Amino acid sequence: MARFIERRLEPADSPLAIIASTAAAFLAAMLITAFLFRSYGASPLQAYFALFHEPFATLRGFGYALVRASPLGLIALGTIVSWRSGFSYLGFEGCFVIGATATAWLALLTAPGGRIGSRIGPLPFVLFLALAILLGFAAGGAWAGWVALVRARFGGNEVLISLMSNYVAIFFLQYLVSGPLRAPGSLPETPLLPRATWLPFILRGTRAHAGILIAIAAAGLVWMLLQKMPLGYELIVTGFNPSAARYAGIDVGRRLAIAAFFAGGLGALAGLVEVLGSQHRLMDGISGGVGFAGIIVALLARLNPLAVIPTALLYGGMSVGADAMQRRVSIPSSITFILQSLAVLFVLAFDALRYYKITPSVFWRRAPEVAAEQVSK
Amino acid sequence: MKATSFLASAFVVTWLSASLRLAGPVLLAALGETFAERSGVLNVGIEGTMLLGALASFLAAAYTGMIWIGVLAAVLVGIAANLFLAWMYVSVRASQVVAGLVFNVLAIGVASTVYRRAIGNSAVPESVAMFPPVHIPFLSSLPLLGPVLFGQTFLFYLTLLLAFVAHFVLFRTNFGLALRASGENPAAADSAGVSVYRMRYAGTLISGAAAGMAGGYLVLAQVGFFRENIVSGQGFIALGIVIFGRWNPLKAAVAAMVFGACDALQLSLQILGTGVPPQLLLALPYIVTILAISGVFGGKAIQPAALMTPYVKD
Repeated sequence: MARFIERRLEPADSPLAIIASTAAAFLAAMLITAFLFRSYGASPLQAYFALFHEPFATLRGFGYALVRASPLGLIALGTIVSWRSGFSYLGFEGCFVIGATATAWLALLTAPGGRIGSRIGPLPFVLFLALAILLGFAAGGAWAGWVALVRARFGGNEVLISLMSNYVAIFFLQYLVSGPLRAPGSLPETPLLPRATWLPFILRGTRAHAGILIAIAAAGLVWMLLQKMPLGYELIVTGFNPSAARYAGIDVGRRLAIAAFFAGGLGALAGLVEVLGSQHRLMDGISGGVGFAGIIVALLARLNPLAVIPTALLYGGMSVGADAMQRRVSIPSSITFILQSLAVLFVLAFDALRYYKITPSVFWRRAPEVAAEQVSK
Repeated sequence: MKATSFLASAFVVTWLSASLRLAGPVLLAALGETFAERSGVLNVGIEGTMLLGALASFLAAAYTGMIWIGVLAAVLVGIAANLFLAWMYVSVRASQVVAGLVFNVLAIGVASTVYRRAIGNSAVPESVAMFPPVHIPFLSSLPLLGPVLFGQTFLFYLTLLLAFVAHFVLFRTNFGLALRASGENPAAADSAGVSVYRMRYAGTLISGAAAGMAGGYLVLAQVGFFRENIVSGQGFIALGIVIFGRWNPLKAAVAAMVFGACDALQLSLQILGTGVPPQLLLALPYIVTILAISGVFGGKAIQPAALMTPYVKD
């Protein structure tokens, strides 16, 4: 007898099933948030309009959405490289700080009054940017890479070590901006970086800068690495089944270190983009949770590098819209944290629904038909 | 007594008593987490649970004016939040690291939304009454040891007692045996008649109750108010202490004291006015925890064999 709900042995994995469960998860998260909006006496439709109108229907707001999307996208790409290689790295807050610090340090060093800049004169922007990217990537890569070495060599748990290392990087930054790199003044921050080191603005009348182009290029490169290159294949095999990888002659420890290096480098580029594109100086609290938000973006993009940029734009846009919502409808912007994290949790939970098969026709097909079907089986 | 030796003994007394004071909440959270991990669940969500517990205890104590209602509210909120987490970890079989991590972001959203709403209400005070230090007659007037060991708050002694209770339950009861079996070899535990799902729910809920109460500890015995950054990684430190303590409640107590000593050292060194930048000292407890759990010293930490592995009953 066919039943209305049956459990499958394997989850349904057709694109339709995946899209349906993802959409249902987003709808459920939006529904719960709508009730929260109501509790503030606001109409949910108005609140959602405020949330999406500013970032996606005004040029200025879209510019800000691009500004927020660039570091988020880069961190999400770092997450994808490390997680798909089986390295559960969570230290992107630290990588971001390390990248931002290395970039600001280089910019101040080569500034007209800096120790190197005063001798050889200002560097051409392209040369400076190339140097900054190399330095930042290497610094972030080293910052994440040693965690992989510790895991491969001593069996330390990378989840917790990387979580702790975030705090070490943040305190290091606090020390630098309140001591050696501090600008004269009351705030713990460096002097403004020379204008010649800023990333160019790309949309007239907005704050959007070339960082989004760096993020898009990185997304393409990560996709190439994972889908088209032998190294990427080895990384994914390592992540999928480390003992099989080892059996096939892949040096798992070394692949983990490579994955961590790339991940840390990408996380550091997020810091570079934020410093050169948006803040134009280094200050305490510059990371502000973007290292974790980037992980959420990667999860919402289902660890697919090509889906990262649109997802980061959506996520960054929502945080721009949240500020507008707070101003206009006076709903606290922290509600968007609830909306975004519920969406991820429901995506995870609703994946379990793909184990169930629904046969609604049992209600309108007549019993003899069903019985005949059973007999023919 | 010479001035320098007086200063030195004042330094040691402040340092050691601050060590124990700071060790309390992380130890409490670590004791609960030991149960979750022994059952096979890595509950990263205790960071967010501590935040929710802190908020619940602050609001409950502020509205009722009763400090114990604050503790109770923190425990209940911790259990409720971890019922959801346990469902994600055990029933949905989501990745434990991902679910816990995202739950922490959810907790920040919920806590800051609720707190902003509450402080808009004029009936909520800025701070609440805290547990006073318990002065045990005779003992607390002992030189050196007295103020260090016997001048702590009631919650500290309760936490210490719970460490022994946890050790007994984990290693001397049938429940503890079944819980540990679920984390070491769930299939074998299942065939011996243990409900692995129930044990893992139990482990996660115990860690939720402890983490919620640890958040209440922060508010009701350390600071007396709520801030969105009140927890700032102490839940993660508790995770480190569980490893550092080799999944053993009594060793975790020692590990928590070591952490507290590092944390308190920067307070004391700042008072002494050494030239060391305070930010580098603040990083010290995190660096010590990293070194302790890295396995560089003392060989590999042997974790429960089925940790982070969801169990599927055939």
